[in-house]
Amino acid sequence: MIAHAEALFRPLTIRRTTFRNRIMSTSHAPGYGRDGKPQERYQLYHVEKAKGGIGLTMFGGSSSVSLDSPAAPWNQISVADDSVIPYFQQFSDRVHAHGAALMIQLTHMGRRTRWDTENWLPTISASPRREPASRSIPREMEQEDIDRVIADFAAAARRAREGGLDGCELSAAHGHLVDQFWSPSVNHRGDRYGGSLENRMRFGFEILEAMRAAAGDDFLIGIRMSGDEMLAEGLSHEDCVAIAEAHARRGLVDFINVLGGQARDHLAHAVSLPNMSFPVAPFLPLASAIRREVEVPVFHAQRVTDLATAARAVAEGHVDMIAMTRAHIADPHLARKLQDGREDDIRQCVGAGYCIDRIYTGADALCIQNAATGREATMPHVIGKAARRRRVVVVGGGPGGLEAARVSAERGHEVVLFERETALGGQINIAAKAGWREALSGIPRWLGAQVRRLGVDLRLGVAADAAMVLAERPDIVILATGGVPNPGFMEGAELVTTTAAILRDGIALGGSVLLYDGMGQHNAASCAEFLAKRGALVELATGDRMAAEEVGTTNQPIHLRELYRHDVIMTPNLDLLAVRREENRLVPVLRNTMDLAEEERVVDHVVVDFGTLPDDALYDPLKAGSVNRGRIDAGALVAGRAQPWPEEGYALYRIGDAAAGRNIHAAIYDALRLCKDF
Amino acid sequence: MAGLFVLLAWLLLAGVIAQGLRLAASWRRGGAATVDWARGLAALPRRYLVDVHGVVARRAAAARMHQAIAGGLLGGTALVLLGIIPALRGADMLWLLAAFGFGFAIFGARLVARRRQPALPASLSGGAFQGLARDLAAYAAGGFLASLGILLGLWLPALAGIGLAAWGGARLVAGIATGPMRHALAGAVHLAAHPRPERFVGTAASLLSPAQKFGVAAIGDFAWNRLAGFDACIQCGRCEEACPAFAAGQKLNPKALIQDLATALHPEAPAYAGSPHPGISSPGPVLGRLHAETLFACTTCRACVAACPMMIEHVDAVVDLRRHLTLAEGGAPGKADQVLSELRYAFNPGGFESGRRLDFAAGGLRVLGEGESADILLWLGDGAFDARYGRTLRALVAIMRAAGLDFAVLGEAERDCGDLARRLGDEAGFERLARANVATLAARRFGRIVTADPHALHVLRQEYPAFGGLYTVQHHTALIDELIGTGAIRPEAASGGTVTYHDPCYLGRYNGEYDAPRRVLGRIGLAVSEMERYGAASFCCGGGGGAPVSDIAGVRRIPDLRMAQARETGADIVAVACPGCTAMLEGVTGPRPEVRDIAELVHAAMEAVPVEARA
Repeated sequence: MIAHAEALFRPLTIRRTTFRNRIMSTSHAPGYGRDGKPQERYQLYHVEKAKGGIGLTMFGGSSSVSLDSPAAPWNQISVADDSVIPYFQQFSDRVHAHGAALMIQLTHMGRRTRWDTENWLPTISASPRREPASRSIPREMEQEDIDRVIADFAAAARRAREGGLDGCELSAAHGHLVDQFWSPSVNHRGDRYGGSLENRMRFGFEILEAMRAAAGDDFLIGIRMSGDEMLAEGLSHEDCVAIAEAHARRGLVDFINVLGGQARDHLAHAVSLPNMSFPVAPFLPLASAIRREVEVPVFHAQRVTDLATAARAVAEGHVDMIAMTRAHIADPHLARKLQDGREDDIRQCVGAGYCIDRIYTGADALCIQNAATGREATMPHVIGKAARRRRVVVVGGGPGGLEAARVSAERGHEVVLFERETALGGQINIAAKAGWREALSGIPRWLGAQVRRLGVDLRLGVAADAAMVLAERPDIVILATGGVPNPGFMEGAELVTTTAAILRDGIALGGSVLLYDGMGQHNAASCAEFLAKRGALVELATGDRMAAEEVGTTNQPIHLRELYRHDVIMTPNLDLLAVRREENRLVPVLRNTMDLAEEERVVDHVVVDFGTLPDDALYDPLKAGSVNRGRIDAGALVAGRAQPWPEEGYALYRIGDAAAGRNIHAAIYDALRLCKDF
Repeated sequence: MAGLFVLLAWLLLAGVIAQGLRLAASWRRGGAATVDWARGLAALPRRYLVDVHGVVARRAAAARMHQAIAGGLLGGTALVLLGIIPALRGADMLWLLAAFGFGFAIFGARLVARRRQPALPASLSGGAFQGLARDLAAYAAGGFLASLGILLGLWLPALAGIGLAAWGGARLVAGIATGPMRHALAGAVHLAAHPRPERFVGTAASLLSPAQKFGVAAIGDFAWNRLAGFDACIQCGRCEEACPAFAAGQKLNPKALIQDLATALHPEAPAYAGSPHPGISSPGPVLGRLHAETLFACTTCRACVAACPMMIEHVDAVVDLRRHLTLAEGGAPGKADQVLSELRYAFNPGGFESGRRLDFAAGGLRVLGEGESADILLWLGDGAFDARYGRTLRALVAIMRAAGLDFAVLGEAERDCGDLARRLGDEAGFERLARANVATLAARRFGRIVTADPHALHVLRQEYPAFGGLYTVQHHTALIDELIGTGAIRPEAASGGTVTYHDPCYLGRYNGEYDAPRRVLGRIGLAVSEMERYGAASFCCGGGGGAPVSDIAGVRRIPDLRMAQARETGADIVAVACPGCTAMLEGVTGPRPEVRDIAELVHAAMEAVPVEARA
């Protein structure tokens, strides 16, 4: 067991609510809301954490209290009217039944939202200053607006309480309305709500007083705030400590939930939701400093991905509750696993940011490695035994093959896994070689440990052929052979190197490189950084409007920062038409996608990323003999029903990139939903 | 001629008495002891024939040997002594019977010799013991020859026999003060005046009484009957074979330990010639014989005590010696000193805040305040601070709730029971904790105490009476056994799955409870596959007596050895019933059976019952 585990399992009582342990998940917006309500999917997602032993789960990040802070367009929660109360009641009953506490975050987004959605109301703030992230220019709030929003907060707190929730937090972080008032970067008012810090805090004070009056004494009300805006014209660490201290001293808050940074622009966003390029718990010192000055419990989240760090944070007194929000997305049962002495079975968050990045594109939060999260209605987190033991052969030890082997073995089947390489991991092993993407290796590391624990027969360093597969007398054959890098279909494709080859073999190219990105994913950006750091002059050209355009909100700024730092030239809006040899150099021919003008470069190397094409060398010889001729019943797969399994012979399935080049989550989801019903 | 033989026997008896007085004189160096001589002497035959024989007879060959040699020689000699009565001296029957007795002893002497051939087993001593078979054989053969010669009137063989018996007998008697035969005389005295007579009637009292001074600093600080106990050792090596510390290559051999103590009393005796304390080549400073590491390697498991045919109390001697080292010299090694300090100031070995003892339950436990009452007081013990053991306690609490029991805990008022302090020699610390706990318990009303910690069970049941605390104390496995028996809980019988059960020393050897845990496992449908060493012969986990904190280095780790024994059974689960055993066995790395407390197994079996079928 990890050091100080006992510190995590020490109950904490605030007012009349006892959290059974110090492990929590902060309010966030997974995009599971429907019609502004937390309905079945949303509730099951949190119930799973309660089942998994969490002490406190907070939901509804940025749940809005007013109509001019619209929630529904981002599948979030609106607490602006009483219709949400029955959902809260059902939700809290379900979570409480498993011993966890349930709280919500209430907010008004102020300028940090858009006017052109559901309600078409103007955005409002302390002063009419544009927010770069939302691109909206707010109207300055009048006293009547202030009074109305205060009343809205009070009504929302009452609704939360009537819904049976244990408490709520007022969001004054990430540049929401209350901290827009606090921050001198936004608030330029000359009235009693502007000027001195005391004046700038007044709006929040009045909100909290009204919330307490409406919600009563046995309801928890806290605040989420930054410990340092890390913004030249914003709130300093000292300001934030003073704000926290003022709120605690006045008895306005039962807890303070501290984070670092803010989210007014792209890079600030990436910093406030740290990805795998950051060390673990980078902003814990901010929470620790505030805890020294206040008498109320302090909570903190931000890349606390492992329980050892969590335990240390609590045991050493830096915080009272440690939030492991993304860690629970990766493994909602982590608290129970630790408590049951099964910490080796915890699937640890790698910090890929796949979950959070999806919600900024309007999609739902999904875990790069745990395909059951957010799909609790159809996908199991705990896999039960099958009625009949079958013999399963998996070819390929990448994420898809490993997940297929893991799930099949959990079902109780006899599983043989062939992997051509001597190490498990597949293409993740290539991606993990790029600078700050190393933590991706945690995905196959966990899967590998699980399949070993489950007794899967691993045949490493064995390139299976059809005869070897059939010699195992399988009932089911799963081809997870992945893809081979595509050098492109243009003239001169034989002259180029792929990003996969560069990273896999660690090739440091000298001279000048044109790196052409036909995907917009991490691969080309990672590879450009890798080459530039080793001395190459790199131009990263792409047909997209900018580099790494498919990479999400919390990751793309880190790529761009590194590319700028290492003098990579980023050239958008170009197609690669051909590569020609000229003497001992290469001439890539490019065409602007907008004005269609052609241009050429003379470089030492051309590196390309056009994704992968399926490695289907095994598929053809096995297809004819299979009872399903390699077909997957897509209807059954999507509906979460079992495939029709053969009584005689073998069924053949392709998953992951072996079916078509996609991503890690697609491979793992393919495997889970196919194999959970064997 | 018969008269000559009778005279020899009486001369030998006189020699025995003289040697006995010499021994008694050395024991007088020891402290006073309260001995019920009348009861002790009356019980002596039973203690010999039932208790001693019971231990000896665990090895049939040894019992045969001892019956033949001891019975034959004592019987034959007693008959010859009777020859002082003239009428008997002339009776053929006397000499016929004597010849039978000595003949039987010849057979015994052959068994004594054979046990050392072809090679001397590691657990047996050489030195003076190598000549023992010869001396025994000489006396037996001489006696046989003399008896037969007298019977048949063959004077020359009779004379030769008397000469041989005189030679052998003289050597044996000479060895009573310092040689192998000391065990016979000292053993008889030890059995009659045993320092812990309760063990013969099946109650498991503690020998440890509140110390009047700081333990044993000189050999004479032991009570005289305990000195007699050390002299009773025949160096059979059974303790050595039973000792987990010795098996792990730690610097403790219980046989050598007893011989060190005997040598401290009889420095003139021939040197010990058995296997030494592992890794120790020269005498240490304690009593001029022992090293502190030897004393602190002991887990106080009492495997040696249970294995000893002479009923010697090794462990109590160890604790007495530790008391001096810890209290007078501040010499508790490793982390022991720090732990004792935590016990002094925080009242638990980990230095936790007292209130954190309830953290495992995350609220919901009824705390018994002063003046309040409950049917059952659940004594949590220090395992409650440990996250792993919290699982066990949660399972136990769930079982007790399901059974509808009226129970409560002491909460912040509970202090460490004192077991660790006492075994580590901090008698003062133990007394402070004991008196505080007795006072706490006196202010509350309860029917019985239930605990999942056998160490707390032992201390509360056996050692608090000395401080006025008299309680009914029940181990959780006994409670669960009772609850299933009365139908208060109805766990589902598990199908399949093999389990082996590890007896906690303080539950088994110290308190005689071997059956309830096994019965509970049976009741939930688990077949117990016993390890080679189980029950009274069970092998310690390494967690007792403060050994995990004094942390004396060995060649192997005791829990690894125990787990290897568990692995040999092929069981999927090692069932445990003690927080110490849980922690030690959970610490074993590599592939191994799962470690589950019996409460966890029962709770899981209750959870397996479909909800609608639960009463």
